[in-house]
Amino acid sequence: MPDDPRRPRPSTLPPAGGDVDAELEFHLEMQTRRFVAQGLSPDAARRQARERLGDVARVREACAAIDLSGEAPMTARAWLAGWRYDVRDAWRALRRAPLHAFACAATLAVAIGATAAMFTVFNAVLLARLPYRHADRLVMVWNSYGASLPQAAVSAPEFADLLDAPRAFDALAAITVQPVGLGGACGGGADCAPERVTSYVASAGLFDVLGVAPALGAGFHERGAPAEGTEVVLTDALWRRRYGSDPAIVGRAVRLDGRVVTVVGVMPPGIRFPDAPLGFLREPADLWVAYDWTLGRSGSRGDQNLAVVARLREGLGIADARAELDRREAQFTAAFPGRYAGEARQWSLMAVPVLEQMVGDVRTALVVLFGAVGLVLLIACANVANLSLARAASRRRDIAVRAALGAGRARLVRQVFTEALLLASAGGVAGFGLATAGLAALKALDPGIPRLAAASIDLRVLLFGLALVAGTAVLAGLLPAWRLSGTTPRGALQDGGARGSGHSAIATTLRRGLVVVEVTLAVVVLVGAGLLMRSLSALTAAPTGVDGRETVTFQVTPPSSSYENGERLRELHTRLVERLGALPGVRGVSAISPMPLAGGGWSGSFFIPGLEVPEGQPEPHAEFSAVLPGAFQALGISMLEGRDFTAFDTTGAPGVVVVDQRLADKYWPGRSAIGQRLDTDGRLDPSEATVIGVVRHIHRAGPRDDGEPQIYLPLRQYTLRTVYFTLGVDGDPAPVRTSLRAAIDDVDAGLPITDVRTMAERRGRLFSPDRFNAFVLSLFAGVALLLAVVGLSAVLASLVTERRREIGIRLALGGRPAGVVRRVIGEGLATAMVGIAIGLGAAMVLSRGLAGLLFGVTATDAGTYLAIGLLLLGTAAVASWIPARRATRVNPVEVLQA
Amino acid sequence: MPPTPLSLPQGTLDLLILRTLAAGASHGYAIARTIEETTDDALRIEEGSLYPALHRMQQRRWISAEWRQSELGKKVKIYALTTRGRAELRARVDDWGQLTDAVGKVLRMG
Repeated sequence: MPDDPRRPRPSTLPPAGGDVDAELEFHLEMQTRRFVAQGLSPDAARRQARERLGDVARVREACAAIDLSGEAPMTARAWLAGWRYDVRDAWRALRRAPLHAFACAATLAVAIGATAAMFTVFNAVLLARLPYRHADRLVMVWNSYGASLPQAAVSAPEFADLLDAPRAFDALAAITVQPVGLGGACGGGADCAPERVTSYVASAGLFDVLGVAPALGAGFHERGAPAEGTEVVLTDALWRRRYGSDPAIVGRAVRLDGRVVTVVGVMPPGIRFPDAPLGFLREPADLWVAYDWTLGRSGSRGDQNLAVVARLREGLGIADARAELDRREAQFTAAFPGRYAGEARQWSLMAVPVLEQMVGDVRTALVVLFGAVGLVLLIACANVANLSLARAASRRRDIAVRAALGAGRARLVRQVFTEALLLASAGGVAGFGLATAGLAALKALDPGIPRLAAASIDLRVLLFGLALVAGTAVLAGLLPAWRLSGTTPRGALQDGGARGSGHSAIATTLRRGLVVVEVTLAVVVLVGAGLLMRSLSALTAAPTGVDGRETVTFQVTPPSSSYENGERLRELHTRLVERLGALPGVRGVSAISPMPLAGGGWSGSFFIPGLEVPEGQPEPHAEFSAVLPGAFQALGISMLEGRDFTAFDTTGAPGVVVVDQRLADKYWPGRSAIGQRLDTDGRLDPSEATVIGVVRHIHRAGPRDDGEPQIYLPLRQYTLRTVYFTLGVDGDPAPVRTSLRAAIDDVDAGLPITDVRTMAERRGRLFSPDRFNAFVLSLFAGVALLLAVVGLSAVLASLVTERRREIGIRLALGGRPAGVVRRVIGEGLATAMVGIAIGLGAAMVLSRGLAGLLFGVTATDAGTYLAIGLLLLGTAAVASWIPARRATRVNPVEVLQA
Repeated sequence: MPPTPLSLPQGTLDLLILRTLAAGASHGYAIARTIEETTDDALRIEEGSLYPALHRMQQRRWISAEWRQSELGKKVKIYALTTRGRAELRARVDDWGQLTDAVGKVLRMG
C-alpha cells in the first residue's frame, strides 16, 4: 500500500527497521566479496548478491513486521533502546497537540507542586527526627488537672521525687524559662551592649538526657552542678551573632543579667531546645544556664514552674512511662492527700512524647491539608486521563496503523504510558519549581507551624517527587492505555476513527465515570474548605472581651541587677508611664501581665472568707492578672460595676482587687460584689482584699479558650518583673511605635523591650493558624473545582461532537435548538449530580477528621453541605452550557452531506 | 558448474538453521554458507526466506541474537541457540528421522 495516504511517514516506522537494514547490508556485502573473489566485477558481484537475496524490500518488511509482533524476547537493554523511539514518538505526538500537552502538563504541575510542597512541610514538621540521639525516647512529664488545665508545670519538690529511683526512665532534667538581658552594666566594649536573650535554666544533665554534646567546650559539669547558675552553654546562633564565632569563647566570663557567668560550651548548629514550643516553653533557646533544681526539694509543691523532660530506658515505650507515673501518683497522693487527692481535683501525672508535644497541635491541620492535596492530585490525574481519552479517540487511526504493522499490545501500552510519563515529568519539573516558590511563600506567611523554618526540599522530598511523577503517569495513563491496547486494526481503520459509535460510546461512559470521580473528590475538598471558612468567620466574629485595636503594647523585663526589688520596679513603671504618656498621640499608658491574646497564662487558687468548700470539692480557682490603672480602658475591657484601680492603690494602702462577672456571679449571686472580701492566697499582704470593681469576662487565649473566673491584682501591690505596657493611641499607631525606643532610652538607656504589637496585630496572630488552614484548603478547593469543571465541560464537548449527526437530523426535522441545549445541560447536570451525591456522603464521613479544627460550626453543618452542593450544581450548569451552545450551531446540511 | 541445487522441503529450513547453530553462534550469511558448503552446494538456501525465518525463530525464543563487531569492522547480528531452541532441535530431528524412515519404507515397497 505504498500509495495509501494514510501510510505513516518513514520516520514513524518501527525502530527495528534500522537493525534489519544493517543485518541485510552485511549479508549483501559478504556475498559480494565472495563473488568478487570468484572473479566477478564488483558491479556484477553486487547484482548477483542482490538477486540471490530476492526482493530486498520485502524481506526487510517481513523481518520488521515479525519483530514488532509483540512477543519479542527483548533484553532489558534492547527494551530501553526501543524506548528511546517511544519517547521520540511521544514527544512528536505531544508537539502535534500543544494545547492538549500544555493543559495536561500544567494540570499535573499544579497538583504535583502543591503535593510536593505539602509533603515538604509534612516531612519537616511531623516526620523528621529531632536532632537528638535519644529523640525517640524523650517524653515530657506534666501535672494534669482534667480538661480545664490538662498540662501544668511541675514544682521543684515534685521533680526531686520523680528523680528518686525511677524505673521507666534512666534520666530526667528540669528546665524553665528565664528571660534575661545579656551584657549591660560593665566597663564598656561590644560585649556590654545589652540584648534580651531567651535563656533557660536547666538541670546540668539536660544535654545528656537529650543526647547531644557541645560542639565546643565540655558543657555543664555533671556532678556538683553550680547551684548559683554560674555556667552557661550558648547556642551556635548566639555564638556567631554576638561573639563573632570566637573559638576562644569557652572559659570566658560574660555578663548575664548583670551577673558574671562562665561560658562552658557552644552547642552544634540547629540545637535550640526547646526547638519548638513545649508547653509554656515557647521560644527557641539562645542560651542555657545550669541550675540544680533538686535544691528546691523542700520548697512549696504549689510553686509549679518547671518543665520536666525524661528519657525512657532503652526498649521501653510510652506505656511504661504511664505505669511509672501511676506509681508516682499513688506515692504523691499518700504523702500529700490534701494537695493531690479528691475526685473533683482530677489531678494526675501525664507523659507526652516530646515530638508529639511539639507538633501535636498542628498534626490534625497538616494531615487534613495533606489529605486534601492528595485528593486534588487524584482529580488532576483523572482530568489528564479524561483529556487523554478524548484525544485517544482521534489517535485510534494512528494506533491502528501501528497495530496493523505488527505492533504488539505491550508495545502499544508502553507507547501510551511513555506519553503520560512525559507529561508527568514535565509536570514534575514545573511542579518542583512551584513547590519551591510555594514553600518560600509559606515560610514568609509564618502561620506559626513549629519546625516549619527547617523545611526544605531534601532527598526524601525528591524521592517522593519521583514517586509522584511515576504514580501520576500510571494513574493518568492507565485508562487510555487500556482503551488503546484493545484497538484492532480492522475496526479502527474501517470506521475511520471519527464516527465509530460502539467504541466511542464506551469511551464516553468511561470519561463520564472519571468526571463523577472528579466531582466527588472536589465536593469533599470544597466541603472541607467551606467548613474551615465558616469556622474562621465564626472565630473572628467571636468576642474575646478584649478590644482597643490601636493600642500599642510591648513587653519589658528589667534586669534584676539594676532593679533588684519591687520598689525599684515600681519606680521604673512610674517613670515609664510618665515618659511614654508624654509622647505625642498617646492617650494613656498602663501595664498588664500576662498580656491577653498573647498566649501566656497564670492561674491559681483563692479563698472566699467564710465559704466552706465541701470535702473532695475543688478549691476556688481563678485566672490572675496584675494591672496598672487604666489597663481596662486601654484593652477595651468593660467595667460593669465599681471602679478601676488608682495610683493610690499601692503598697501600704488597703488591698484591693477587681474581679470578672463570672467570679462575681458564682460567689455572690444576686448580690453586688463590690465591697466583698476575697483571700488572694498570699499574693497580697495581707492576703485578704476588698473587691472594688467588676469587669466583663475575657477569653485570654482567644475565643477557643473559655477560661476560668478572673481576678485582677493592682500591679503596685503585686509587683511582677515581666509586664506588658499598653499605650492608648489617638489615630495612627505607627509614629508612636517609631518614637518608642528613644522614649524608653530616656528612662533607662538600653532597657530591652520585645514583642511590640498593636492589639489588632495580636488578634490577627491569634487566628493565623486558622486563617492559614482555611486559605490553603480554599486554594486546593478552587483548583479541585476548576479541574472538575474542565473535565465535565470536555466530556460534554466530545459528546456533542459524537452526536453531531443526530443533532443535525433533529434540527433538520424541526427540533428546536432550546431542546438540544436542554438535553446537553441535562446530561451535564445528571453526571454532576451523581458526583455531588457521592461526594457529600463521603464528606460526611471524612469531615470528622476536621472536627478538631472547627469553631462554632459542626463537621456536618447542613448549611455548608447545601451551599457546596448548590455551588457545584451551578458551576456544572455553566460548564455544560458552553458545549450546549455549540451543539445548537451544528449545521444540518453540512452534517448530513458528510 | 555445480548441479542444479535441490529445493528445500517445506519447514526444513528451521531445522537446518537450528542444527547449524547447534555447532556454535553465527550470523545469517555464515549460516547460509555453512549449509551450502556442508551439502557441497547441493542444497541452496532461499536467502529471501532465511532472514524472516531467523527473526521468527528469535520471536519464538528458539534463538537469541546480539550485535557484535564483524571482521568487516561493521556491527553484525550473531544468532545463538537457546535452551528452548535446543529442545526444539531434538524434537525435530526425531520427527525428521521418523518421517524419512516412513517415506523410505513406502518408496522401497514391493
